[in-house]
Amino acid sequence: MNSFIRNVAVAATATVAIVSLAACASGSAPTSSDSAAKSTVYFGVSAAETGPYAQYGQQFKEAFDLAVEQTNAKGGINGHPVALKYEDSQSDPKQSVAVAQKFVQDSSISLVFGDYSSAASIPASPIYTAGKLVQYGFNNSNPDFTAKGSEYQWSTSVTTNASYQWTADYVKKQGVKSVGVTYLDTADWGIPAYNAFKAEAAKVGLKITDAEGVLDTSDDYRPSLSNAVAGKPQAFVHIGYGPDAAKIVTQLRAIGYKGTFYGGQDEQSFDGTADAEGAINGAEFLETNPAKEVQTFVKAFKKKYPNEKDVTGFEAGAYDALNVAVAAAKIGGTTRAGILKGFTKVKNVPSVVYGSITFDQSTRRPASPALTPTILKNGSWVAYTK
Amino acid sequence: MLDTLIAGLLRGNVYALGAVGISLVFGVMNVVNFAQFSFFGLGAMLAWFFITTLGLPFWIALPLVLAICAGLGLIINISVVRPLAKYLPLAAMLSTYAVSQILDNVSQIAFGAQFHAFPQVLPTANLHIGTMRFGTSDLVMLGSTAVVMVVMSLFLKYGKIGRAIRATSQDQEAALQMGIPVGLVQHVSFVIASALGGLAGVFIALYVGVANPASGLNIGLTAFVAATLGGLGSLVGAVIGGFVLGILEAFGIHFFGDTSRQIIIFVILIVVLIVRPGGLLGKIPLISTEPLTGTFLGKGRPLRIPRWVWPVAFVVLGVAIPLSGNDYVLTTGTQVLIYAIIAAGFTVTAGQAGVLALGQAGPIAIGAYVSAMLTLYLHFSFWAALPLAGLAAAIVASVLASPIWGVKGHYISIATLGLGIAIVAIIQLVVPQGIYNIPVPEWFGTALNTPTAYYLIDFGVLVITLLVMWRIRRSHLGKVISSVGSDEVAALASGVRGRNYKALAFSISAFFAGIGGSLLAHQYTYIDTTIFTMLMSLLVVTIVIMGGVGLPYGAVVGAIILIGAMEALRFTPELRIIVYGLVLILVVRFRPGGILVRNS
Repeated sequence: MNSFIRNVAVAATATVAIVSLAACASGSAPTSSDSAAKSTVYFGVSAAETGPYAQYGQQFKEAFDLAVEQTNAKGGINGHPVALKYEDSQSDPKQSVAVAQKFVQDSSISLVFGDYSSAASIPASPIYTAGKLVQYGFNNSNPDFTAKGSEYQWSTSVTTNASYQWTADYVKKQGVKSVGVTYLDTADWGIPAYNAFKAEAAKVGLKITDAEGVLDTSDDYRPSLSNAVAGKPQAFVHIGYGPDAAKIVTQLRAIGYKGTFYGGQDEQSFDGTADAEGAINGAEFLETNPAKEVQTFVKAFKKKYPNEKDVTGFEAGAYDALNVAVAAAKIGGTTRAGILKGFTKVKNVPSVVYGSITFDQSTRRPASPALTPTILKNGSWVAYTK
Repeated sequence: MLDTLIAGLLRGNVYALGAVGISLVFGVMNVVNFAQFSFFGLGAMLAWFFITTLGLPFWIALPLVLAICAGLGLIINISVVRPLAKYLPLAAMLSTYAVSQILDNVSQIAFGAQFHAFPQVLPTANLHIGTMRFGTSDLVMLGSTAVVMVVMSLFLKYGKIGRAIRATSQDQEAALQMGIPVGLVQHVSFVIASALGGLAGVFIALYVGVANPASGLNIGLTAFVAATLGGLGSLVGAVIGGFVLGILEAFGIHFFGDTSRQIIIFVILIVVLIVRPGGLLGKIPLISTEPLTGTFLGKGRPLRIPRWVWPVAFVVLGVAIPLSGNDYVLTTGTQVLIYAIIAAGFTVTAGQAGVLALGQAGPIAIGAYVSAMLTLYLHFSFWAALPLAGLAAAIVASVLASPIWGVKGHYISIATLGLGIAIVAIIQLVVPQGIYNIPVPEWFGTALNTPTAYYLIDFGVLVITLLVMWRIRRSHLGKVISSVGSDEVAALASGVRGRNYKALAFSISAFFAGIGGSLLAHQYTYIDTTIFTMLMSLLVVTIVIMGGVGLPYGAVVGAIILIGAMEALRFTPELRIIVYGLVLILVVRFRPGGILVRNS
């Protein structure tokens, strides 16, 4: 009896083990229907749907779904409807590599968007390259994503280097002579961004009185901030994202600092922070931009998602990314090789971020991206001209 | 100086509230409650929801938040924690981790993942001392904490249940024999702790200005450290620990910067524990048992594995899967195998020496960085770098851990947790940027970078790991290490120096962790410090407990289930984490000693 139970237990364990491995394979059955006229073109999305980065995954998804809807309403890619396959990576490399492999072997997938963070995107890059599948890291502002990647890594995000060189130039042009700085102490984003800012500041003669590395997971920046403003800088620059900028600007005002705050991000928590009023930032995307494409996009987005108060650069970037991928597929064809070819040829794709997108083929990034100075007024960002 | 002190006080205030909750539950149940972390985030989000969305005034929203958190706490204790804590605190701890995953994700589905600006219910910058500004809001928070603490201490001193709580935390069995309703006491403690967690969450959000469902994790961890610092189970200690930590942290950041925050916190913790192994006010028991010792020997025996299973498992994992599996299965398989290697190596520490170290991400990171740098900058081959990565991890981790082996019980878990986080934080200081283009393994000029090749390399390393672990367990040395874990006092009486063998076991585990880190680095070809998180450490521990804490082959089963399940549950992306948490709770509930350990 005992030995029977034992054998059953062992067999059950072994079965569970094999089933959980086998289950991984299910759902990735290639759907290779070759009815050429109407077959659906699938793009993969590797992003965080759960976990600490889920906020961004949700924003991407809303914009992607809108763009797909519009594309299909206009006849898809030369008659082929477009559809997306989402996989949750939690922006965790352990999962993003598995997701990459899943997409690579799903022959219906002809391009993949993502992942969100460099730590999840870059480990997946060799897999996409080996699978000859374009990895479109539309959100990867880390220049090394494309610079150290292969011909299969593309991005339409402004690099951190470019955007913080712009910031240093712009702050100087505003007549500011000295700044206190905080930057996120992250390997893939904040540190390279600060280095770019520092180099440009030295070049244009902008004095950095003190720079403090901070963590976005901290809640209390007062000890760092009192150091950063000890040298009485004329203005303050924060190199980071919205939620940490919201905490920093609140605490900066709480310790009595009154200079202009350069930084922040068009994002719900920052926009809703009372002390953030008057913050100035270089934006890729501006909801209030009067250009026709932008207003059409914003209107369509708010119609589809009435609960969303703001449309930010994250949604705009994802929306653009899908349209760029569709434009590339229209030129090169809907196969993996076709889309890669399309990326090398595509020009002047209408964009809600840049007006229009043309790739610099040597960097696989948008050629000469421009930023718009914006200021936060009454909870929304508007163009700032001074 | 003065402004730093005030910042520290405000900060310590929040830590103290959280720490009291953690210490309270620990005192009466001997369980470290990870679900407490979630109540911070949940409290903040609920308050945000009531005030911003429903438009309730703060003074109505606050009691509602406390009531909801208290109610949830009661449900969690009745359904999950208490049934397990009765006979296996370790399993209960694991299930509280699962509960916290579920709570965070439910809260994320309910409120969205975004950070929200928290309404300013009271002025935050209308007063000042010198240049330091603060607001009525801060004073109200400090005042509330003071009131809560006074009420709590009166309740514990004079209240009937309060006295029962103290009696239970002094000696649970004696309390039971004196007719104290221990079950009720535990429920009450859990309810109070959960409500305090919610309150602390609201305060954090008020102070910081923004909140999202996951924002409780870091503050929770620090509150946990504060509770340990004060002495787990001591409520006065928790308050002192909270304020001491808050103030020292503020000065540490003032002098060394925010980037060294985690190093500062854990250096303080480790120094305190070396000087006072029971925390500032905790009592140091003359005879203490490790949380892992005895329990497993008494409560279950490993299933006997029939001999035919080994060759079958070898053929299935080593031949059938590489031949038949597609690249997705193989890539998932590589992650399973690497974690199995790390976890199998960890069984000697967790299972045999009885030390539940919570910081394996540290040695994994050392291995990954050493291997990456040796191959990239000094042009070592992967095959030479792999064992060197293990050695480096073993040496560095052992040297850094050497002061903590006099610390006992749960304290050593917290100390190793801190060690793991501090190691990663130090690496971040030394090598701030990520490492790119780490060479892939080669064999006479052929790049072994296909999923099949990675899988086979990992499989080979796993087989070697299991053989080594098997040899160690059978050897005299292994038996001595086991004796330390089974009964440290008896081992000491027999002339075995427990702390030396614990250190040795830890360095063996660190060696295999380093090997695992090296394998990860060469497969990802990119590493940065965000990969080596506390969640990684917890995953290793979970795998080991899942498979049976002392069984190296159990680690393989645990890795297949825990990493395989995350992939297998892809059919329900939104509920993935919640289902994962439920599965974890069910397994722990019905097989508290591990899948391969029979209940007895």
